[in-house]
Amino acid sequence: MKGKRIKYLGTALCCMLAALSVWGCGASSGNEKVEIEIVQYKPEAAAYFAAVEEEFNATHDDIQLKISSPNDAMTILRTRFIREDYPDIIGIGGDINYSYFVDAQILADVSEYEGLKEINQGYLDIAESLELVPTQGTYIVPYVANAAGVLYNRDLFAEHGWKIPETWEEMTALCEEIKAEGILPFYFGFKDIWTCLAPWNAMAVELSPSDTAKQVNAGKTTFTKEYRELSEKYLQLLPYGPNDPFAYNYNDACTAFARGEAAMYPIGSYATPQILSVNPDLNIDSFVMPASDNKEDRTLNSGIDLGFCVTADCKNKEAAYEVLDFLLADENLQKYIDAQNAVPCKAGEFQLSSMLDGMLEFIQSGNMTDYQDHYYPSEMAVDAQLQTFLIEQDVDAFLSKFDTDWQRYNRDIIRLVQEYEKEHGNVKE
Amino acid sequence: MIKRKGNWPAMILLILGLSTIIFPLYMTIIIAFKQPSEMTNSIGGILALPKVWNLENFKEAMRVTDFWRSLRNSLLITLASVGLSLAVHSLMGYALGRNKAKSKFYNFVYLFIVSGMFVPFAILMMPLAKQTAEMGLANWFGVILLYVVFYMPMNILLYSGYLVNIPMALEEAAKVDGASTWTTYWKIIFPIMKPMHATVAVLTALAVWNDVMTPLVILAGSGQNTLPLAQLNFQTQFGTNYNLAFASYLLSLIPILIFYIICQKQILNGVVNGAVK
Amino acid sequence: MKNERKRTFLLITIPILALFVCFNTIPLIRGVIYSFTNFKGFGSYDWVGFRNYVDLFSDARVGKSYLFTFKLAIVTTVVVNVISLILALALNSKIRAKSFFRGAYFLPNILGALVVGYIFNYFFTYILPAVASMIGINSLSSSILSKPDSAWIGIMIVCAWQAIAMNTIIYISGLQTVPEDVYEAGGLDGATGWKQFRYLTFPLIIPFFSINMVLCVKNFLMVFDQIMALTKGGPAQSTESISYLIYNNGMSGGQFGFQSANAVVFFIMIVCISVAQMKFSGKKEEQL
Repeated sequence: MKGKRIKYLGTALCCMLAALSVWGCGASSGNEKVEIEIVQYKPEAAAYFAAVEEEFNATHDDIQLKISSPNDAMTILRTRFIREDYPDIIGIGGDINYSYFVDAQILADVSEYEGLKEINQGYLDIAESLELVPTQGTYIVPYVANAAGVLYNRDLFAEHGWKIPETWEEMTALCEEIKAEGILPFYFGFKDIWTCLAPWNAMAVELSPSDTAKQVNAGKTTFTKEYRELSEKYLQLLPYGPNDPFAYNYNDACTAFARGEAAMYPIGSYATPQILSVNPDLNIDSFVMPASDNKEDRTLNSGIDLGFCVTADCKNKEAAYEVLDFLLADENLQKYIDAQNAVPCKAGEFQLSSMLDGMLEFIQSGNMTDYQDHYYPSEMAVDAQLQTFLIEQDVDAFLSKFDTDWQRYNRDIIRLVQEYEKEHGNVKE
Repeated sequence: MIKRKGNWPAMILLILGLSTIIFPLYMTIIIAFKQPSEMTNSIGGILALPKVWNLENFKEAMRVTDFWRSLRNSLLITLASVGLSLAVHSLMGYALGRNKAKSKFYNFVYLFIVSGMFVPFAILMMPLAKQTAEMGLANWFGVILLYVVFYMPMNILLYSGYLVNIPMALEEAAKVDGASTWTTYWKIIFPIMKPMHATVAVLTALAVWNDVMTPLVILAGSGQNTLPLAQLNFQTQFGTNYNLAFASYLLSLIPILIFYIICQKQILNGVVNGAVK
Repeated sequence: MKNERKRTFLLITIPILALFVCFNTIPLIRGVIYSFTNFKGFGSYDWVGFRNYVDLFSDARVGKSYLFTFKLAIVTTVVVNVISLILALALNSKIRAKSFFRGAYFLPNILGALVVGYIFNYFFTYILPAVASMIGINSLSSSILSKPDSAWIGIMIVCAWQAIAMNTIIYISGLQTVPEDVYEAGGLDGATGWKQFRYLTFPLIIPFFSINMVLCVKNFLMVFDQIMALTKGGPAQSTESISYLIYNNGMSGGQFGFQSANAVVFFIMIVCISVAQMKFSGKKEEQL
């Protein structure tokens, strides 16, 4: 009896061990080529990157390129970081995650990379200011930017002879005019909380200093002071939207706008593919959201949508740079722009989507300001707080909560900044 | 007589309840056949039948998800997890269920494992990602092993709960015949728990089949996909192709539904075979 | 013989327990360790002692999420158990097309979160208000998911819709263990309908009732998928569940340490509730 039992257990154990060894070490194989792995966070551009991968590998004998465009790339990156399994290059956006990664010293300094010279200085400055505390190096090669403002239905505008507004006053006058004709001026999809940030960001660039968050961290100002006008104006937009904007999600809003149910939709250029999938014939253009009454304040809300960072762990920086050169080659970048309606970060002649016509002069003159929310920690859930504010419409409560929450969620950063300033004096002043 | 009287209210109730299932299913099916350009926000529009019935969406969905390969991976993981769960968990459920009333040690182990049900996965995720990589288990085998551990608390709860209804007399009879505990278990107890095996199999299979997070975290960067992982491709923050996604979900629903129907029969048959009490 | 039995049980228990400890307890302990740091999920971190725990009890958002989660869990548990018991009784009675019904009622459980989210969003946003205003119920003429007071009801409905299938299966397998002769004997005593259920059927399926209670507590206290599919915590942060906060702020956000502390407190809390619950229903089982 006993012998039999041991035999059973023994067999089971052997099976497990055998399985383990088969599963465990099946991967490694000898390869002389340098392998470069990219993980980039925009799954919507997966087709483009698959094509790039194929083309690169067909033309390069010494480097084997592997690009993955997973959904939920941030989770994948984080889990890979924790097991110290770093890809060579990561493609991420210029937001607070980038700031954290720089701070965590995961990224390598790429300031020696030649291709940086061709990048518009404006985007390098944006990248610089995203660093929690100033550093010596450059850690990202900005690839493309996005632009947020107001998308509008060109045909409707032409039909009624409406003019693109340039000041806040003109904006509200236009909304009244559209409303008077029995058309809904704006569509909102505030059920998806992140969409609450789109008009907020677009107006913030004109109404608040671009480094508001940094100034607050340094203890120089408060959000209550800097965001009051912005909050009040945001509330004034609400009556021009649908009755119960919190019932509709992003997808509903895109569909409604595509079906001509509203004249304008305050969202970024990234929404156009979804809108066009519903109605491919819609004639969309965009304009810069006017929030100030002063025309000199006008600026386009634009940030780094995708940039490439070489990780500190990358064994072969030269090969990584070669891959970056390939990605930044004019014809490849142009393909990306065509596919994603993006704005290139590289200087040079590129053909932009006609949906960006209304923003072209800002893009060409480099009159652009980064998104305010790129400085907000995601766990503070500013988007959800905005939604609460839009429902409850209490400016004071919103702003004071913003300030107290900010101090709480950012205390480690604030401490870091203050330590830095103590050490280096107030260099920035 | 009494029974037959109860039938009609039951039937009406079931049919009423059925409408809450038919309606969403109807929507899923018609959306799976429509084109994005047929999507509207009007009720008449969304409930209308598609303009043309063709299988283009299904073909495209199969291409995007690399259907056959993802299906094979999903099937492999699910079957292996279910098989191991049935063997390991029923055994453990037996050991704990038979002893927890008398022994403090077994009672503690029982509560210890069952309480594992309430550990939020989010807290385990990072440490597990690290640990599996260190142990060379960042692969299919690791994922299966993790499932066996994750569903252990729930399944042990189910098995030891079921054991309460199985009288000791059956085992004692075998013991008299000189069979060891181990043989008694496999020969007598294991077959008797058939209805519970079917329930556990359904629960485990369903959880494993639909799970995204474990393979996402453990297999990150390996390029291997399960069906739910591949289906993530349909949604991005800035746009979701519902038509393709729905077609793909309908496709992945079929295997698990078949599995359920097979198991459901076992749950029923068990009563006839078991004649427990 | 007695020793043989004991040894077999030990030989079974110890390796499986070791497996469990290795992939559940040890990572959990590592997680607990992180709860004493300001770890973001990557990079370096500092020890912060009990700061996270102190913060936890002063964080209004966390407090609100506990209230919401418990409210949702309690109501959904009651609704699900009542409905699935009725369904199980109906499905267990002698009716036609039994296997068809059993198959159909299982469907909600296997539809993916994306599908369920889309359909119910559509239902609550467009269909329900239209139907309500047609028959003149004003309180339902706008989406229930868009108002902070009523959004949880929408989530409750979807949770219940999905969970009923599983609970019904477990109740059915419980009802199968009730032998026919019990009913026959009961019939002779004149126990029919409610009385028959209350005094004959229900006592015999109490083990399955407690299994269902535990499953409900687990599923609804840890509700996550339905929140992501329906509201993403909105409107006005009224539907942020505990798991939602732990995942969103801990995994996707930079609060891994803090949310680990949250997870630890949450875990201890549910374990206490469940142990109490099991003790309670265990006593009941013994009594019968």
